[in-house]
Amino acid sequence: MAWPIAELEATAAICSVAPAAATTETMVHPGLPIAWAAVAMLMMIGLSLPVLRGSPGNASRSDGDHMLSLTALPMIGPALHEALRRPWLLLTLRILTAALFLLLIAAGLFGSPIPERNLATVLTWTFWWTGIVIAVLLLGSAWCAICPWDALAAWLVRRRLWRRGAPHTSLNLRYPSWLRNQWPALSMLAGLTWLELGVGVTTSPYATALLGLAMVVMATTSMALFERKGFCQYVCPIGRTLGAYSTTVPVAVRPIDPLVCADCKTLECYHGTDQIEPCPTHLVIGRTDVNQFCTSCGACVQSCPSHNVSWGVRPVANEAMHHTRGHWDGAWFMVGLVALTSFHGLTMLPEWEQWMRHSARWIGDSGQLLWTFSLGMALSLVLIAGTFVVTIRLTQRLGPRQADFKPLFNNLALAVLPLAFAYHIAHNLSHMLRESHGTWAVFVNPFGRGTLPLSTTERHALMTLPIPEQLLFTLQAGLIVLGLGLAVRILGARARKIGLDRGVSRVPTTTFLLGVSGMNLWLLTQPMIMRM
Amino acid sequence: MTIPRLLMLTLLLIMVPTAQAHHVLGRPAYSLNEDSNTPPAMQIETQVGAYFVTFMAYPAFPKPGEPGRVNFYASRIDSGVSFSGPVTFTVRDDGLLIDSAPETLGQQMPDDGVYRQNYQFHQAGDYLVRAQFESDGEPYTVDFPLRIGDPAPIGPIGLAVALVALLLLSVNLSQRKRLARLKTQRHNAGRA
Repeated sequence: MAWPIAELEATAAICSVAPAAATTETMVHPGLPIAWAAVAMLMMIGLSLPVLRGSPGNASRSDGDHMLSLTALPMIGPALHEALRRPWLLLTLRILTAALFLLLIAAGLFGSPIPERNLATVLTWTFWWTGIVIAVLLLGSAWCAICPWDALAAWLVRRRLWRRGAPHTSLNLRYPSWLRNQWPALSMLAGLTWLELGVGVTTSPYATALLGLAMVVMATTSMALFERKGFCQYVCPIGRTLGAYSTTVPVAVRPIDPLVCADCKTLECYHGTDQIEPCPTHLVIGRTDVNQFCTSCGACVQSCPSHNVSWGVRPVANEAMHHTRGHWDGAWFMVGLVALTSFHGLTMLPEWEQWMRHSARWIGDSGQLLWTFSLGMALSLVLIAGTFVVTIRLTQRLGPRQADFKPLFNNLALAVLPLAFAYHIAHNLSHMLRESHGTWAVFVNPFGRGTLPLSTTERHALMTLPIPEQLLFTLQAGLIVLGLGLAVRILGARARKIGLDRGVSRVPTTTFLLGVSGMNLWLLTQPMIMRM
Repeated sequence: MTIPRLLMLTLLLIMVPTAQAHHVLGRPAYSLNEDSNTPPAMQIETQVGAYFVTFMAYPAFPKPGEPGRVNFYASRIDSGVSFSGPVTFTVRDDGLLIDSAPETLGQQMPDDGVYRQNYQFHQAGDYLVRAQFESDGEPYTVDFPLRIGDPAPIGPIGLAVALVALLLLSVNLSQRKRLARLKTQRHNAGRA
């Protein structure tokens, strides 16, 4: 006898809970007070004025002149340098993150579907996704060195825990030339944003685990087919975002004595040794001043026979001001980054859903309103990117005669980078501080077995700030001001480099920078929906 | 889409209406009724045409053989008036690569504006509950995913492992062939 898949239950009503009674309202975080925003805006206007006078930036400085090597730190410096020269420290960290990642996958697939009770969603979206950008500020692209996607891919393909793998474990093909740019990473970043904010993977432990698995499969496929680490260099949206941001931070891997590297003929940092892998992103670390593609993997630190490569401290934003090479795809990645970070904030406003509902009725969308979301996302991105294109066109008109569009675009796009970085941190800081209270329980019960959804009392407790609210506001407003300050410095240096000496030629870009910063500041003043 | 509509959409995006706390449309939300000791419920809110609809599954994590219920509520977006006509509930298996015919669960009339449809599933799996009604001569269909029992996690893990294993095996075989060919070429070159 064939059973029907479901049958009408003849019993009386099981419960008398009407939908309205069970409604759980989404919590919203309070925004930055208007007074704070007004003070910050005034400070930003004040910071922007010098660049309009055509004041020159420190265009001739090179960061090599100012690099303070880690080894120069008393006591701790040499010890840390020695630890980083040996593989065990990074290997231990890689094993730890990979183990945590596998636990996260298991929790996502097998655990509770309640997002705030499952390790997969809490660890990924509350801690990692928010903390990783803050970590760039202090450690540059260090996350890439212990990334579990790359570690698992490397172990699967190379079949070595840390030593250099045999060459025949990969096809070692050259990455296709049409993919050797930042477009794949930008597409992935936009796709990830769509999945995060549109589809809502942040509220699904299962989807979060699937996303993690998909990234490992992609990293493994790339490593099995192509030489070195093309996935990290061209495709990974996280790696490229961290790479872009790290051009503005004071931490980088660099030669201790550049002269030693200048005389080097063997280039172990580039080719590797019998034991150590070559640079995964084709850098000759001793002769480069661009860390954008450095994954901080430590291979150059370990392979250098002169022990001449180390972590060091350099002037803030020096790389973006003077050394980062302006490429068309890289410039678009930065503009995309600023647009996507602001879009993130926009979608967490309670008003966003109102817009979605109105718009969905216009286009006849229903269900999860994905068409409406996609259209809103496309419009928002086009609006910000389009405004930047118009800005560059105006600069072209006001600048020196016959200035080409592309060099202007490529160089001035670097100035928007600190805006994205600053807003990204300010926004994430609020999420992390306001939503992490009490979530440590998921580390005790990662699968969320036997747990119930958060009660209203728990939701309120979850939003308890571990620091005074005024301190959070100070940090947020300060970050936006700092971002604009750095952006203006980069603009000054880059403008000089491409001959935009007249102050009037810098007006459009300065206005754009102020406009985006003002918009980001306004976004911070708005109440923001809790992530989970 | 016409240009005036696109312009209107842009305007709507720029407008700032009054803010209210709310659910995220179309995504499941798990809630706990603190006034009772009942198990949690899962709720999805969305809008279809002229209606704003709320779909609630109780319990949130139903097991095979366990009685459960879906509550359905629809109100007009413009006036807030509840829909009061009949609503038909159907269900079909929504598993990967399964194309099953829908089965009717029942047709319900509202009780206090809420349509209640009881059910009992025999097997674990992914199902799609569909509510259908007609208003102003327009047919309305609202789908609501419902999972019975625990998910089958072997699917994605198995797929990932199979993909990676196939890839690594192919690369290994290809490289072995290449090395063997090189060895033969070198051997032949040495003899010549």
